[in-house]
Amino acid sequence: MTVSTKLAALSVVIVIAAVAGYALLLRVVIVRNHPEGYVIAFALATALAALAVARARARRWPAWLALGLTSLLLVGGAWFNFVAARVPDTPTVLRVGERPPDFTLPDAAGREVSLADYRGKKPVVLVFYRGYW
Amino acid sequence: MAELQGLGANLSEAEKAGVEIVAVSPDPNERSQKLAEGLRLGYRFLTDRDLAVTRRYGLVHAHAGPNGEDVPRPATVVLDRDGVVRWFSVTRNFQVRPDPDHVLRAVRAL
Repeated sequence: MTVSTKLAALSVVIVIAAVAGYALLLRVVIVRNHPEGYVIAFALATALAALAVARARARRWPAWLALGLTSLLLVGGAWFNFVAARVPDTPTVLRVGERPPDFTLPDAAGREVSLADYRGKKPVVLVFYRGYW
Repeated sequence: MAELQGLGANLSEAEKAGVEIVAVSPDPNERSQKLAEGLRLGYRFLTDRDLAVTRRYGLVHAHAGPNGEDVPRPATVVLDRDGVVRWFSVTRNFQVRPDPDHVLRAVRAL
C-alpha cells in the first residue's frame, strides 16, 4: 500500500470512529455535551485525505474518494452542529429567586397535576423535553 | 429522554423519594411513562400538547420540529420547596443537555 492509500484509509477510519463513537457514547455526558468533537474529527480526517491526494502518484482514486467522503461529512457535520442544532436564545420567564407561573397539565393517567400541588411539600426538578425521541 | 435517564441514574433512592421530577413535553406521554417505569425512574410525565405552558414559559423553539412545527427548547429547572427557582438551564444547542451532576448539585444545595 502506498503512503497516499494509507492516509486515505486512516481518514476513513477516523470518520467511521467519530460517527460510531458519538452514537454509542451519547449517554456519556462529556461526549453528548461536546458535539463539536465530531466536527473536529471530520476536519482532521479531511486534512489527512487532502494530504493523501497531494501525495498520490499512480492510483489516485482512493485518496479522492476519501477526500470526497470526509469533506462531505465535515460540511454536513459543521452545518448540523453550528447551524441546525442551534436553539435561539429568546427571553424566558425563568429567574433565579422567583416563582415561575403555575400551570395544570394532565399526567400519563389523565390526572390533572399542578405545579402548585408540590408547594410546601417537595422540591421539583421541572424538565421541558422534546418528546419520546 | 437522555437527560431524564441520566438524572434518574444519578439519584439515590432517598433523593428519588425527596424530590419530584416533573417532565413536560408535547408528546402523548404514555410511552414516556412506560419507558420511565421500565427504567425504574420515578417521574411524573405531563402532556403540554399545544405547548401552551411551554409558550408561557418562553420555551418554544419556533418551526424547529421535523415537520416545521414548534417544539420545546430543552430546559431544566430546579424549584425549592416553596416553588421558587433556584437553578435553571436552557440549552443553546439541542444536542447538549445539562450535566446531571450539575442538576443534582443544585438539588442537594436546597
